[in-house]
Amino acid sequence: MSGTITVSRSDKETSISIKGRFNFEMHSQFRTAYQNEIDGSGGGKGQRFIIDLTGTEYIDSSALGMLLLLREEAGANEADIEIINARPEIRKILETANFQRLFKIT
Amino acid sequence: MKILIVDDDRINSTILNRLLTRDGHPVVTAFNGRDGVALFKSEQPDLVLMDIRMPLMDGYEAARQIKESSPNRFVPIIFLTAVTDDEGLAQCIKAGGDDFLTKPFNRVILQAKISAMERIRMLHSVLQDQKEQLERHRDGVRHELEVGQHLFSNIVRTGNLLDAPCLNHWTSPMSLFNGDLLVASYTPAGGLHIMLGDFTGHGLSAAVGALPLAELFYGLTAQGFSIGDLAEQINEKLARVMPTRMFCAACLIEVDYRQKSIMVWNGGLPDLLIADGQGRLVRTIPSNHLPLGIAPMTREDRKVEIIEMQDDYRVFLHSDGLTEATNIQGEMYGNERLLAHFGGHTPPDQLFEVILEDLKAFREDAEQTDDVSLLEVVCARAGEEPPGGSAPRSRKDIPPAHWEMAFAFSAATLKAVDPLPTIINALMNLQAPEGHRERIYTILAELFSNALDHGLLQLDTRTKKTSEGFLEYYAQREIRLAALKEGHINVRLAHTPLADGGELRVRVEDSGSGFDPVQIQSHLEGNLDHGGRGIALVRTLCTELVYHGNANIAEATYRWTSQ
Repeated sequence: MSGTITVSRSDKETSISIKGRFNFEMHSQFRTAYQNEIDGSGGGKGQRFIIDLTGTEYIDSSALGMLLLLREEAGANEADIEIINARPEIRKILETANFQRLFKIT
Repeated sequence: MKILIVDDDRINSTILNRLLTRDGHPVVTAFNGRDGVALFKSEQPDLVLMDIRMPLMDGYEAARQIKESSPNRFVPIIFLTAVTDDEGLAQCIKAGGDDFLTKPFNRVILQAKISAMERIRMLHSVLQDQKEQLERHRDGVRHELEVGQHLFSNIVRTGNLLDAPCLNHWTSPMSLFNGDLLVASYTPAGGLHIMLGDFTGHGLSAAVGALPLAELFYGLTAQGFSIGDLAEQINEKLARVMPTRMFCAACLIEVDYRQKSIMVWNGGLPDLLIADGQGRLVRTIPSNHLPLGIAPMTREDRKVEIIEMQDDYRVFLHSDGLTEATNIQGEMYGNERLLAHFGGHTPPDQLFEVILEDLKAFREDAEQTDDVSLLEVVCARAGEEPPGGSAPRSRKDIPPAHWEMAFAFSAATLKAVDPLPTIINALMNLQAPEGHRERIYTILAELFSNALDHGLLQLDTRTKKTSEGFLEYYAQREIRLAALKEGHINVRLAHTPLADGGELRVRVEDSGSGFDPVQIQSHLEGNLDHGGRGIALVRTLCTELVYHGNANIAEATYRWTSQ
């Protein structure tokens, strides 16, 4: 069983909220969630992405890989991505992978 | 569509036969169930119209036998019945009938039912074709996977020292291929390199990344590179070949029994745990680097943790599949359950088994969702050779010859790279007599690190004698090396053939201010009681070791005979 994704967009900000299990089964859903913004803005420039993990119960390494893919497609080092509301277990997983060096985690 | 009519009522049979023939269907007829079954087998019709009450064998039994005889082909059977009660009709379906037609026959309904059955039959045959195609495909994939697995295990296992006496390991892949990769190999100086890598995902795609990783690990380890170098080079390779969304969480460990040190580089794996002689947790080393294959490494990323090794230490490392293993209730094993074993109540030599037993008891029959690995390094046995000895490596053997090599390293070079592997490789590629390599490596490594640590960096080995001093020594070394502005080390190797072997002279000169040769010898040799290595060791290996100048020039002579 995997999770569900909801997306809300404003002018320059896309908020992607993941509920349930964030794993490899979410791959195409997650990609669809941000693809339009990236294509529409010519590589995601000036676009801000918020990954809201409020309802995320579990995250696996494939999900970490999806975050890396988003980062790459949104401009790598220029990407503006913030991961918010991760519960402690999930924050621990993000920090074990030292993702705080690649993403803003709040 | 070829149709078989089974009916003992000849009038009915004739009417049906005429109707169907007129619509262009070839027809065969039988007048009892037994003949019907026989005719079905010989004529292979596409549809059967079956009466119920007949002599010799009734319609129900005939239908059952027909269905049984062609399990893979869908042959619709339509019962011809005078009964219209629910139970009678239900019994037709139960016997394997697909539909029924009540007497007297209505031509339009008969045609409609036949064409409906024709559609189902076509659908069934398409499905059957697809099923066969899938099965062929699946067999093909399975076969390719088996070939891949064979290659994979050969590449990963060749030269793998997982049977080293100091290692206990357990790994449970969730599919044919293991996304967790565990490799171990001896360094030329006799230390042990161990690496546990956990690739994103599972199965084949995860295992593909394991191949370049294993090749680099063995190759670089054999050449004398440090785990920091290994991490950097593997990272670079993986970043180049793997897609963005894939990476490898990894931990590299170097256990050096003679130096009494454990070095750890942890990028993305769970905390490495060290237990003491009472089985109590004395140290955890969390991941402080990005996993491999994500971003280019900075100098900072190469940094390793150095721990002074105690003989009774046991080092534990696991992949996240262990703490994230779930039971039937969906609950995770978790870090706390794991750490609970390290309270000092479990005998240290049983920790490994106890953890595995506890995990199995926790998980029961729950489905495995990730690769799980657990590794233990028993430091007390780190000095022991594996039962089969080191894996043989093929090298060219050149007859003893005259040759000379000289290297000069400036401060800038010494800060940027460890030149030792380069020297060693040049030497090993030219003339590395079987059975002498490790000794030659040790002599070079010791003389070179003395020139650097004591000659140029002015470090005092006496600080290494206490635990605090041990760490302080490495911390100071790093600071002083980074601050090094001038100075150089020159290395000269000269080889002369002898009647039954050869003589290698190693001369290492540094630009440092040197030491009082008497003092340096006594206190460098004092190193023996701590590290077991040092100049005293070199002296036992060499035919001769002399110091010149202010002891800033060391000259060692090593004689070897062919074995």
